[in-house]
Amino acid sequence: MSDNLFNQLGYLTRIYLRRDRLWIAGWLVAIVGLIAGTAVSFDGIYGTQSTLASIAATLKTPAMIALFGPFLAKPPYTPALIFVSEMMVFMGLFFVIMNIYFAVKNTRADEDNGVTEVIRAHAVGKLSPLTAVVIELFLINLLNGILIAISLSFSGMTGTDTNGNWLLGLGFAGFGFMFGILSLLLAQLASNARGATTLSYLVLGAAYIARMLTDVQNKNYTWFTVFGLIEKLAIYTANNWLPLLYMGLLTLFFLTITVFLSLQRDIGAGLLPARAGRRRASFFLANPLSLILRLERTSIIVWVCGMFILGISYGSIFSNIGDLIKTNPIIADLMSSDALRDSNQALILNFAATLSVIFAIIATIPAIIIILKINNDEKKGWLEQIHAKGISRLNILSSYTAAALLCETLCLLFALLGMGIAGMGAPDPVPLVRFLRAFVGYLPALYVVTGISLFLTAFIPHLQNIAWLLPIYGIFSLYFGELLKLPQWAKNLTPYGWVNRVPLAKVEWSHGFLMLLLTLGLIMVSYLAYSRRDLSGT
Amino acid sequence: MSETVLKINNLQKKFGKLAVLKNITFSIQRGEVFGFIGPNGSGKSTTIRILLGILRANGGSATIFGQDVWQNAVSIHRRIAYVPGDIYLWPNLTGGEIIDLFLKLNQQKHSTKTDELIKQFHLDPTKKARTYSKGNRQKVALIAAFSTTASFYIFDEPTSGLDPLMEEIFQKNVLALKEQGKSVLLSSHILSEVEKMCDRIGIIRDGQIIETGTLEDMRHLTRTAITVEIQEPLTNIQHLPSVHNFTPILTADKTNKVSFTVDSENINQLMEQLVKHKIISLQSTPPTLEDLFLRYYNHHEGGGEHE
Repeated sequence: MSDNLFNQLGYLTRIYLRRDRLWIAGWLVAIVGLIAGTAVSFDGIYGTQSTLASIAATLKTPAMIALFGPFLAKPPYTPALIFVSEMMVFMGLFFVIMNIYFAVKNTRADEDNGVTEVIRAHAVGKLSPLTAVVIELFLINLLNGILIAISLSFSGMTGTDTNGNWLLGLGFAGFGFMFGILSLLLAQLASNARGATTLSYLVLGAAYIARMLTDVQNKNYTWFTVFGLIEKLAIYTANNWLPLLYMGLLTLFFLTITVFLSLQRDIGAGLLPARAGRRRASFFLANPLSLILRLERTSIIVWVCGMFILGISYGSIFSNIGDLIKTNPIIADLMSSDALRDSNQALILNFAATLSVIFAIIATIPAIIIILKINNDEKKGWLEQIHAKGISRLNILSSYTAAALLCETLCLLFALLGMGIAGMGAPDPVPLVRFLRAFVGYLPALYVVTGISLFLTAFIPHLQNIAWLLPIYGIFSLYFGELLKLPQWAKNLTPYGWVNRVPLAKVEWSHGFLMLLLTLGLIMVSYLAYSRRDLSGT
Repeated sequence: MSETVLKINNLQKKFGKLAVLKNITFSIQRGEVFGFIGPNGSGKSTTIRILLGILRANGGSATIFGQDVWQNAVSIHRRIAYVPGDIYLWPNLTGGEIIDLFLKLNQQKHSTKTDELIKQFHLDPTKKARTYSKGNRQKVALIAAFSTTASFYIFDEPTSGLDPLMEEIFQKNVLALKEQGKSVLLSSHILSEVEKMCDRIGIIRDGQIIETGTLEDMRHLTRTAITVEIQEPLTNIQHLPSVHNFTPILTADKTNKVSFTVDSENINQLMEQLVKHKIISLQSTPPTLEDLFLRYYNHHEGGGEHE
């Protein structure tokens, strides 16, 4: 029986590892490099007690707790304590994203393109492909964890200890593996790779937001958010191994369900059954633009709703941030009520300005996905029939572009609306219209990013994934740049850095207008290249 | 009949340094069904993709309805219908939606003809394309193409996933197009299909058209298989330059029975020789397209007799 289920397991595992070796190495370099690089530089950045005290004060504010998790350390502070409070939640996200990537790639994506079927047709056990992925995920996470622990030991950062180094490394490994297995579980429910990825990110998003809310309200509840377990390791303070045990138990639980579900279902099928669709196309489905909108409908809706919820969840903590009296009751006596209101609003707007960058960066992600589909759909052979119709390449290119622009516009708008509406709960709320400054301010920058992606798509289709460097570096330079004290030019490398601190500051209209012109130029040049080159079919 | 629908002259295409098409030259007249045959990787699909303006040629010219296939792609495409060899459809649209979309993209409508075709091909249009087999995906493209009113139809190995019944329906529909005076370019591996439907044939190998003409023309250029039984032993036949594969067949009654192939153009000369040996029985098989096909592919390696 076991022979039947696990035949050729070792061989398959080796194949998966070998096939993914470049990606594994890439993630390893990115994750370990980021952690080690930060650790090495921290003594230099936070070398004095005064810099430590000021960053600790910043990290204690609700806004920072929402972004990075609670600040648990007690003075005297060390760079290592600052390091863990900045890195745990953020790097935890990276680990989960890596795990979702490998989990979906080697299960549903393989099923979608028929690889699993071919493998299973050989003398391979029923559970072998799934188990091979489980082993692969385990090894990837373990390797990352060990290398992180070792690199921390050699980083020379003040305040580290061996127990904490290994707990941090293995904690990340266990955390990543847990979400990897969860992703395998969700992959059994979805009916294709895209669905599995979407579902995994939805769950991740929900867990992250739950963590944020509990951290801001009452951090004892964070234990239940699953994502929050990573904070509870209390590295370099209590060095608590218990959360790692919980992660292990949850992993086993998810794994059991996954195996059960996987034995229930057929290859290529989801557990959510397919139902009969339309016999005829709707009136609306009639041209490339409506086709793309129809195909992307679900993911656009999910993105826009997700952004709205993200906005609401950040906005809901405005009442904690924009209330000076709460943090300092004496202030009420010292300030006039008008001055107090202005100060409270300034706090909110300052936080909102930081959030707006994040919203802007996230909003470009679905747009880039759509733009890259110009070539990706081509490779899948979906466009061949369209080319044979009386449809120009300009029509195809502009339809994808329009869908991308529309999607990111809605994403940014709804994130800001969500933030503004939920922020009404603050004692001195900022009028909703004020937040629209961020919308008008950032929109041109988003369009430039889309324009650059389109440019890459048109000119170097085989290297188009370079476009992802924009949001990745954007997040790194702007979300993280403050803490790493990056110079201004380094923040200006992506269009996200070209915008001033809206909604706190006024919209720079001439700036925005120039960016729109740049976008238009990029689109036109891209069209010229796209209309002249070969389209690589299957 | 002299109106030229498709005209390709010395068409060339390189992918990097690799010359995929070296010299493609042929034309299709109005009302003609043209068979385009050749081994895998010989350049059939590349030629078709150039005709559709998906790829750009490096040399030579190709026109459809007298218009350049690259410059005037859009206006040409309004009057053609195309079914690719490998059909990939959007997995979350239904077959019915895709058929309608294909029609609308050419400003045409779902008609009674469309419904009739859906019935003929036994397609369930309410299923998502994700669940379709290869044959069903082909049906979707075929139904859309046949219900499109066009002047020129291009089929790239359209029946490779269809069962014999569906293949017959495909052939019936192509013949109906022919009766309406439409032109068809049919690239196919199924030689019986080509033999049955095509007026003329072009054979492509290694990016070059090595032969075009009617099947009859081509038969003249190749060999007829002959099995003959004679009273007197054959002496000099096997030494004739036009006779190949000479094999005596030993039978129980010790008569002289042989089989061989002969260049079709020399058949008369051969007959004169055979008659002298008193023929008992004679069986002659004209070359099938399959023979032609194999002969062109095998014997032309390294520059054969017809070049």
